[in-house]
Amino acid sequence: MKELRDKRVIRGLLSEIEKRTRELPSSSRIMEVCGTHTMTVHRYGLKNMLEKVGVEMVSGPGCPVCITPNEIHEAAIELVTENENFILTTFGDMTRVPTRKSSLQKAVPAAGSMVKIVYSPRESLEIAGSSPEKQVVFFGVGFETTIPAIALILREAVEKKLANFSILSALWIIPPPLKAIVKAKEIALDGFLYPGHVSAIIGEKPYQFIAKEYGIPGAITGFEPSDILLGIFSILNQIRDGNPTVSNEYSRVVRASGNPKALAVMEEMLETKDSYWRGLGLIPQSGLKIKKEYSAYDAEIKFNLRIKGGSGDLPGCRCGEVLQGLISPPQCPLFVEKCNPDSPYGPCMVSFEGACFVYYKYNPTIKNEL
Amino acid sequence: MCLGIPAKVVQIDKPNLGKVDYLGTRVKTNFELLDNLKVGDWVIVHAGFAISKLDEEEARETFSILREMAEKEALANKNKEREKQSNKQKG
Repeated sequence: MKELRDKRVIRGLLSEIEKRTRELPSSSRIMEVCGTHTMTVHRYGLKNMLEKVGVEMVSGPGCPVCITPNEIHEAAIELVTENENFILTTFGDMTRVPTRKSSLQKAVPAAGSMVKIVYSPRESLEIAGSSPEKQVVFFGVGFETTIPAIALILREAVEKKLANFSILSALWIIPPPLKAIVKAKEIALDGFLYPGHVSAIIGEKPYQFIAKEYGIPGAITGFEPSDILLGIFSILNQIRDGNPTVSNEYSRVVRASGNPKALAVMEEMLETKDSYWRGLGLIPQSGLKIKKEYSAYDAEIKFNLRIKGGSGDLPGCRCGEVLQGLISPPQCPLFVEKCNPDSPYGPCMVSFEGACFVYYKYNPTIKNEL
Repeated sequence: MCLGIPAKVVQIDKPNLGKVDYLGTRVKTNFELLDNLKVGDWVIVHAGFAISKLDEEEARETFSILREMAEKEALANKNKEREKQSNKQKG
């Protein structure tokens, strides 16, 4: 596996990429959809190296913590501050997202209530099993990579009839926002790097409309620097040949039809719904909710939460534009001085894969300014 | 959030539970999303669940493409060096 970070390999790939870009009439703009890709692109300095050879990388909507509208974060905060004997479990990043009602980390829970950070959704079930006197709500956020795990624990809760357990879901599907971005035509894109681990679940097919209907090339890509460059090389070849497709450059992990067991459990427990995404607004069939027959485990129904719309952004926060690739984080006036990882103003600066956080962490000139 | 870690299966207890080795640490992992897993397989682990089995043949193929890229680059550099040398000699 050493090839994946080998400097000689990276230099070789970059020079092949440069050969291709020289054959093209103009430079190419490629969106890395996934926040974990954004991390690789910046961590290994690929962003600047690629710019020198005529490839501009822009970040996309692939950060579930970031795209979850504030209304859902606020509903989670209310659950634990207004109800006694509640345990809200969630992933670490989620607790730091600032909203109009503070954050899960800073808000003061009601008597006997608390927020617990979990690494795996399964821990929430164990907590519910060992604390029968409390209501346990798993605030589950994620894309297709995480959703099968959440669907599995939902099924287990249903089988065990765990009456004190429910899920506040913020579950998002990746292809619909890509369609929204392409259709909006606010940013011209020459290619998409598709997220490797989302693709491990859904396979190649769900992206094909982007190549077929919109003529935009794309490559499913892994997370090492060589993986990213291989994906870009494939996209440039597709551009040169006038043959947009969905190439799989992460075939060691991604099968063409995805993971059938994961897809089956998602299908069994969840159904699609129209969802609000931060910045992108209402996107048809872009989210998943718990099926009606399991609504006893749906926190939104169980606790009658009326989560509305997606207009609750904090004033001045431009995370929504960052998520669409419309601006790059340094173009936000709050960036660095008023919004940084120590004191984040918006969610794109909170999450480890939020574009603002990544730009801050891996940009040496920013650190010099401080 | 979509971070997935390649790890080796070292223990399968119940049909769907076991442990993987990640850089020397044994981590409890759920194998329910994969079929026919055996000790010694490599998997991608995300949030405590193995979501995909690594295909070794595909991996070998990708790595050989990558090595080829590095060799091409090394060869091009060597040729450049030679050209420089011969230009110097001519000069």
